[in-house]
Amino acid sequence: MIQFFQVSKRYPGGQTALDRVSFDIARGQFVFLTGASGAGKTSLLRLIFREDVPSEGQILVNGRNVSSIPPQKIPYLRRTIGVVFQDFRLISRKTVFENVTYLPRILGTDLTSQKKLAYQALRRVGLAHRLNAFPLELSGGEQQRVAIARALIHEPEILIADEPTGNLDPELSWDILRLFLEVNLRGTTVLLATHDREMIQRVGRRVLTLDAGRLILDQELQGIDPPRLEAPAEALEPPGPPVLEAAPEAGA
Amino acid sequence: MSFLQALRAFFREAAINLARGWKVSLVAVLTITLSLFVGGAFLLVSGNLLASVERWRGEMRVVVYLQPGMAEDRVEALAGELRRGPGIAGVETVSAVAARERFQEAFPSLSDLVEGMGDEPLPPSLEVTPADPAHRPPELRAFLDSWRRRPEVSMVDDDREWLGQLENVVALLRAVGLALGVGLLVAAIFTIGSVIRLTAYLHSDEISILRLVGATEFYIRGPFYAEGFLQGLLGGFLATGFLWAGSALLHAQNPDALLTRLLAARFLTPAEAAALVGLGAGAGLVGAIASLRRERLTVAENEPAAE
Repeated sequence: MIQFFQVSKRYPGGQTALDRVSFDIARGQFVFLTGASGAGKTSLLRLIFREDVPSEGQILVNGRNVSSIPPQKIPYLRRTIGVVFQDFRLISRKTVFENVTYLPRILGTDLTSQKKLAYQALRRVGLAHRLNAFPLELSGGEQQRVAIARALIHEPEILIADEPTGNLDPELSWDILRLFLEVNLRGTTVLLATHDREMIQRVGRRVLTLDAGRLILDQELQGIDPPRLEAPAEALEPPGPPVLEAAPEAGA
Repeated sequence: MSFLQALRAFFREAAINLARGWKVSLVAVLTITLSLFVGGAFLLVSGNLLASVERWRGEMRVVVYLQPGMAEDRVEALAGELRRGPGIAGVETVSAVAARERFQEAFPSLSDLVEGMGDEPLPPSLEVTPADPAHRPPELRAFLDSWRRRPEVSMVDDDREWLGQLENVVALLRAVGLALGVGLLVAAIFTIGSVIRLTAYLHSDEISILRLVGATEFYIRGPFYAEGFLQGLLGGFLATGFLWAGSALLHAQNPDALLTRLLAARFLTPAEAAALVGLGAGAGLVGAIASLRRERLTVAENEPAAE
């Protein structure tokens, strides 16, 4: 699903972010990407969704060489990849509904379908009742859930998360992590960058470790306290009014 | 998404942006309104003046003023001589008495001035109608020049000469209007461009998200182009409206005044008005396209990744 072949990334100032990194992530895998700050985690993730291009090497995403993909094709690649950031990147002047429906709007989806998709995505993260709220009315954990809903709205093949729990307290982090694991259970390939070693130790799964731009470790870990996933996230959702009727007008 | 769907989405987004940032947009709209108003005003004035020139062109005559006190039979003899000249359709004699009566009729308040002067104060004249009132062929010009040198003639006054000067003034007016209009239009394009760039900067967070989720350049830039187009369109409508209001005001205040007849006898034709509005919309679109041509619309794309 994601293949790196001897990928290096050097910035114009001479700083080396990645140094001959190679790995292969199969479809449906859940992989942690870890390393200290400055190890190259974000640089690696940016290469996958073609936010940046490698200085050397080849990257295949779902069989497509993203290094040589023409600029006009990049949007079509990105529509298959959901991305979540540490700082959520929600637009504060837009409602939750508007924030999560960017991709459906781009695709020209009609308003009724947009509402349906938004409801489904928000339901998965337990926030279907906050459709009309603005991001600043939400807690940090809720904002991150909205960002995840935005990434999930079109059932991406790959979900990339860059320190998604970095701004959250441990309890909320655990909830967010469980969401990612549930998304993975449904078949989405998940690549989650974090420097939280304790979280990785508890959950287990495959771990790629970067140090100063080099991949120094690729290991499978058995979790010591993996989260229980039998309870779906929807169960967390408090009862509320029918959400579809409460959805705002698109573009409002 | 079809092209029409995309256009609808762009204009909806642009309208929302205009409404939310109306103070900034107002500057751009007023600038383009001013430029189109000035350009349109010159177009209107020069158009009206040219229409007057065209009307007068068909009525142009040559007046040969003779020496005062000339005997009537001599006047008639000179008229007969003129009639035989090249390119002359007719000659009408105006006696000294008829000239005085015309003067008194045209300027009743100055009637006393010519009344108490004893002998007829105004000279007799010959009014020559050229075969082609609008043009003076070389043989006619030479013939009239020869009359200017004759001792019986005090002056030859050709309407064509002052009309030519008026045509030059109109052409100059049109050129000045065009230059001023183009200059202001360029300024308006730059203003709209700056406003669009500022709007794009203010929306850079949203543009980053749009890029991230897979929006095409066309989808990202479309609303900004639509916004420039709408600003220009609005400016075009306002300018046309102000021109119409100015014209209507002149008519309402004094419909028979020379100024009204010269400057506002007719308003812009629908095609001219549409062209003015279209020019505004086009200028807005050009401003938006030019301002974003080299912009990547996001600040952080090429920066090294922070971790």
